[in-house]
Amino acid sequence: MEKTLNRIHPVSHPEETYFLQVSWEKDLGTGFGIILSDGQCAWTGKVSEAEISREAADMEMNREKYVEELKKALIAGEESAGRYNFAISRDEENMECHFSYERNLKDGSFRLGSLKLQKVSSPAEVIKELIGYCLDCLGRLQAKNEHLQKENERLFSDWSDVEKRLEKCVEAKEELEADLYNRFILVLNEKKAKIRNLQKLLNEAKESAADA
Amino acid sequence: LSTVNKVSNVFEDVEFCVMTGMGKYSKSYLESRIAECGGSVVQNPGPETYCVIVGAENVRVKNIIASNKYDVVRAEWLLQCFQTKMLVPWQPAFMIHMSPDTKEHFAREYDCYGDSYTADTDVAQLKEVFSRMEDSKLVPLDVIAELEERYSWNSCQLSIFRGNTIYVDCYTVVNEPRTKIHGTTLSIRALELRFYGAKVVSHLEEGVSHVIVGEDHSRVKEIKALRRTFGKKFKIVSELWVKQSVEEGVPKDENQYLV
Repeated sequence: MEKTLNRIHPVSHPEETYFLQVSWEKDLGTGFGIILSDGQCAWTGKVSEAEISREAADMEMNREKYVEELKKALIAGEESAGRYNFAISRDEENMECHFSYERNLKDGSFRLGSLKLQKVSSPAEVIKELIGYCLDCLGRLQAKNEHLQKENERLFSDWSDVEKRLEKCVEAKEELEADLYNRFILVLNEKKAKIRNLQKLLNEAKESAADA
Repeated sequence: LSTVNKVSNVFEDVEFCVMTGMGKYSKSYLESRIAECGGSVVQNPGPETYCVIVGAENVRVKNIIASNKYDVVRAEWLLQCFQTKMLVPWQPAFMIHMSPDTKEHFAREYDCYGDSYTADTDVAQLKEVFSRMEDSKLVPLDVIAELEERYSWNSCQLSIFRGNTIYVDCYTVVNEPRTKIHGTTLSIRALELRFYGAKVVSHLEEGVSHVIVGEDHSRVKEIKALRRTFGKKFKIVSELWVKQSVEEGVPKDENQYLV
């Protein structure tokens, strides 16, 4: 079972805040449950797989595409804020609540879906559950954050260790090369000096032969 | 030494003076092996002595060297003679000290580092010659670059960036090595450049051939402004140039990587 909890503002009363929890199994397309609360009352409802298919068909929309839209509208949260509208209308006794969600377009909007939510008899339980869910999430995220931070520190120290070692290798290679080349040059120059000397001797011999 | 069994005549009529032994080959062991090979042994070198054999050096050895009269030869030479059953020619590596005559002879055959003028060398001999040279000064990179060019070694895979002087854009402030950014791939690129023969400098000055930049292009403008003041222009290339040149083992055309 997966869940998300988002804050939404109804288009009619943007200053009001509602909490929207959507829960589903594996994929949103197989149906989902909704809990809506204003902090005092709570309403609940379900959308079945069949209803999703029917809505998509009514809109002449590819089912997959429709489910994608639903995800963006209901569970994406902050990222898609402002691109979707929510309408909430309650009756006098708060017994029923009509909830609908629509995609915002440049000129107007089109309705993605709507449903009637039933009032929950013990809203405190539902709100407790919502807060519990938030705290669980927070705890999990904190643990994950700590773990990642440690991991990051470890990676960084490994990196600088390897970098230092690599630098040593490079230095050693540079030194070895420079040293070997130096020795090579010294030996090579000795050979050249010998060749020069032999050339000199040869010239001297030629001269003395010419003199004779 | 009257009971020796003669095994060869390698040292027939040759007189040795063994001064010290080495390791598991004691002085007396060396002496008896000389006798087995037909040589004779004296305790003090004289006019007839061919050479002085030394395993470990001591005061007596030093005195003999100071007298400058005798050839002082390492015991290893003797062992090689025993092993090959031949009078192995002396090589510079065997000589601890040479008498003036021998020195002159060697000067005709070998250079001052002990490398033969006429005989081919091999890896082991050259290693030996190099190891006997005093700890030497290091050749600057540009001399290496020249040498490699002269002998056409510049196609070597370890010389991809040889001859290039490169500034790597890994300082928050250009030309301020104290502001080095740590833990970036650029510092690895700098090491790769050095490993493959480049001269990596920490100051962007006249004479630099390339500037390597990473993903962060915030200093490119400043670097280009600096370039306008230079007589010899450098190329500004992405670190990909280094990466791909190293991967392919050849310097890639910089113009494909210009920033």
